[in-house]
Amino acid sequence: MRIDGRWTLFDDGASRPVIWGEIRTGDGSWLKAPFLVDTGADRTVFSAATLGGLGLAPIAEAGISGLGGKTKSVLIETQIRLTREGQAKVLFRGQFASVTEPEALDINVLGRDITGLFAVIVDQPDGLVSLLAQQHRYKISPPD
Amino acid sequence: MVRQSAIVMEEVTDPGELNKARVQDERFERNFAWFQAHAKEIFAQNRGKYIGIAGQRLFIADTPDEVFAETKRAYPEDDGRFIHYIPKEKLARIYAN
Repeated sequence: MRIDGRWTLFDDGASRPVIWGEIRTGDGSWLKAPFLVDTGADRTVFSAATLGGLGLAPIAEAGISGLGGKTKSVLIETQIRLTREGQAKVLFRGQFASVTEPEALDINVLGRDITGLFAVIVDQPDGLVSLLAQQHRYKISPPD
Repeated sequence: MVRQSAIVMEEVTDPGELNKARVQDERFERNFAWFQAHAKEIFAQNRGKYIGIAGQRLFIADTPDEVFAETKRAYPEDDGRFIHYIPKEKLARIYAN
């Protein structure tokens, strides 16, 4: 399985590794949403902007902490869908945290609850962002 | 506080759902290409705002609910819409929550 992302320009002029996917909303439709591939994040976390678009009721408070200490957050139950090779889709079902303050997080973060299922390639010089699993592997070659 | 459950991964095999998703992806790609072409000016002019892109047009609001509703009202058929918050300041960012 191979899920590709892209290096994406942010408002601060930096490019960051992003995979676009969809999140299941309260009315059953799918909302397009970007996910920062964050190898340091323990969990997948939605931004306040995404939470607002989902129309899902929180099921509990969540406990998230980052550089600025503990962040106000909630837990919601939904599905994330990502595109794999051949335009097929793969689904991740479960409970996900979301921040509630806009300045806490400007983009959804794909954490190790999902990326831990894959080999993760985040290669800026070669412009590559990929999650690999099953028959897809990577190889590190020695210099010629 | 509730302990978060484990994530379950499944492959989508329903041809109808995959076809619908492909059409949504195509609509999204058109919106995203438009956004990328205008990204610098959109970022510079809308700090601290929520933006939405639908029908290759920009929508701006103070709340995510508002911008989402506006994109949906203007282009109800465009499920390739997306919304985003532009931070008030340009600061170095550490994500890792």
